[in-house]
Amino acid sequence: MTSDMVRAENVHKSFGSLEVLKGIDLVVKSGEVCCVLGPSGSGKSTFLRCVNHLEKINAGKILVDGDLVGYHERGGKLHEMKDSEVARQRQQIGMVFQRFNLFPHMTALQNVMEAPCRVKKEDKAGARDRAAGLLDRVGLGDKKDSYPGQLSGGQQQRVAIARALAMRPKLMLFDEPTSALDPELVGEVLDVMKDLARDGMTMVVVTHEIGFAREVGDTVVFMDGGVVVEQGSPAEIIANPQQERTKAFLSKVL
Amino acid sequence: MTDQTPTERARPEPIKAVPVRRPGRWVLIAVLAVLTAMFLHVLFTNDQFRWKFIFLSYEPGKRGVLFTEPVLEGLRGTLLLTVTSMVIGVVLGVIIAIMRLSDNWILRGVAFLYTWFFRAVPRLVLCVLFGNLNILWSRVGFGLPFDHQIGRLFGIDDLNAQFYSIKATDLLAGFVAGMLALGLSEAAYMAEIVRAGIQSVDPGQGEAATALGLSRGQVLRRVVLPQAMRVIVPPTGNEVIAMVKDTSLVAFVPVTFELFFQLNAIKARTFVVFPVLVAAVIWYLVICTVLMIGQYFLERHFGKGYGSTGRARQRLRDIEVEQGGRIVAEGGGST
Repeated sequence: MTSDMVRAENVHKSFGSLEVLKGIDLVVKSGEVCCVLGPSGSGKSTFLRCVNHLEKINAGKILVDGDLVGYHERGGKLHEMKDSEVARQRQQIGMVFQRFNLFPHMTALQNVMEAPCRVKKEDKAGARDRAAGLLDRVGLGDKKDSYPGQLSGGQQQRVAIARALAMRPKLMLFDEPTSALDPELVGEVLDVMKDLARDGMTMVVVTHEIGFAREVGDTVVFMDGGVVVEQGSPAEIIANPQQERTKAFLSKVL
Repeated sequence: MTDQTPTERARPEPIKAVPVRRPGRWVLIAVLAVLTAMFLHVLFTNDQFRWKFIFLSYEPGKRGVLFTEPVLEGLRGTLLLTVTSMVIGVVLGVIIAIMRLSDNWILRGVAFLYTWFFRAVPRLVLCVLFGNLNILWSRVGFGLPFDHQIGRLFGIDDLNAQFYSIKATDLLAGFVAGMLALGLSEAAYMAEIVRAGIQSVDPGQGEAATALGLSRGQVLRRVVLPQAMRVIVPPTGNEVIAMVKDTSLVAFVPVTFELFFQLNAIKARTFVVFPVLVAAVIWYLVICTVLMIGQYFLERHFGKGYGSTGRARQRLRDIEVEQGGRIVAEGGGST
């Protein structure tokens, strides 16, 4: 029995000879919103991708809701999970990407229905109703039949959030969800995310939106150079940073 | 000039400018017109075409050479050969393309060797080669591979573990040999086309689908391939059209169940050369026209979400946003 939704212990990740994560320790409690800040190249997106096993970690361990991600531990030895088992784990973890990655050959509604229909084998009519409900929830009830190419960036990102929610995840990962948006479209996406946070969704948000982190974040993590430099409540980290690197970063973005 | 504020000015007259003259263009059009007229003139006045021979009757009591029984039979053969060898080519090509993109170097290597071999050897040579493959084996069948060798290992002479076998000269001759030669060669080209198509899809698409919990097969079938099709269909149309014409190579297998062979036979029998060739040209034109129409509809199907109407609407919406929402796009964009 644990209330830790995400628990990362000494996570290392290298691409070839380049070590991107150098021992990350992080805990996100159930129902919490954890905002990860840091300069580009600090490894925050890579860490997020490790949480749902899009990247394999080289050392350490990541647990989501008490289960090891990507591996079984049997008799003190790690066994790689089968593809189907990894897929089952991923169903419980929603992910939203910087560049939306909506399926361009499907309408908004089909994008949201795809995974419930194919992965969970839900019946079409029920999935359609639920997908329509989710699109309503993100304020796009009238765009059901639009293709992604016909939607603005902000609308696409909201469809992407609805698509992730359709799998009823217990954890949502956001990888710089507003970085590819025109400034005037950022607000509508952040509003949807605030709404989610209010409903008690556990969220890990990699972002450059300091305002969002301050307002919505329960914890703020500052990463640089592949390590967690500082973490704590938004008030501690953003208003009163202790580390030089955090201060330097915040002075540039604020 | 009634109640105009200084910021609100009268709309000026639309521009009515004299268009730029492009004399070169008109010279070219004149030349093309003359050439077209010359071509039509030959078509209608030169007796050597013998249109009656082609369309109406090539021998007393028989239909025109286009519609005579052996030629229609040959046409069926050409179409059948095109379809079967393209089916082999596409199915095997997709498999080889996926192997080529595998993480496993052995699968990658085998796929590479396959495309290397079948792209290197000319189709004509392949056709002759496959027509003579029955020199290698007397019988071809399904069963335990290396059954004789395994039998000898356990001291059984002449172990025969074939469930079903057939005389090689029956199988590897004529139509099947031609179909295999063309199909296997086509697979090598299709593999490259499919690989290019798959690689043209943004890797983020596969990631997004994977993150949703879709299996590898589902990612490929539902997300990657449908998008790759946009890149795959146009060159595949080329391949099909090229295949229609390459079927004439199977005459060297030899296969007689084929359009050009049948027309050639009539040429040899009647000593009428030119009209027979014109008849061949006409049939190939007809087939390719039908195929091109089919390709148009395929491209339209796989262009879903990319269509020019969608893009035009998006552009309108962009302008709308820039204008602060003053232009109302038709239907508001939602259907």
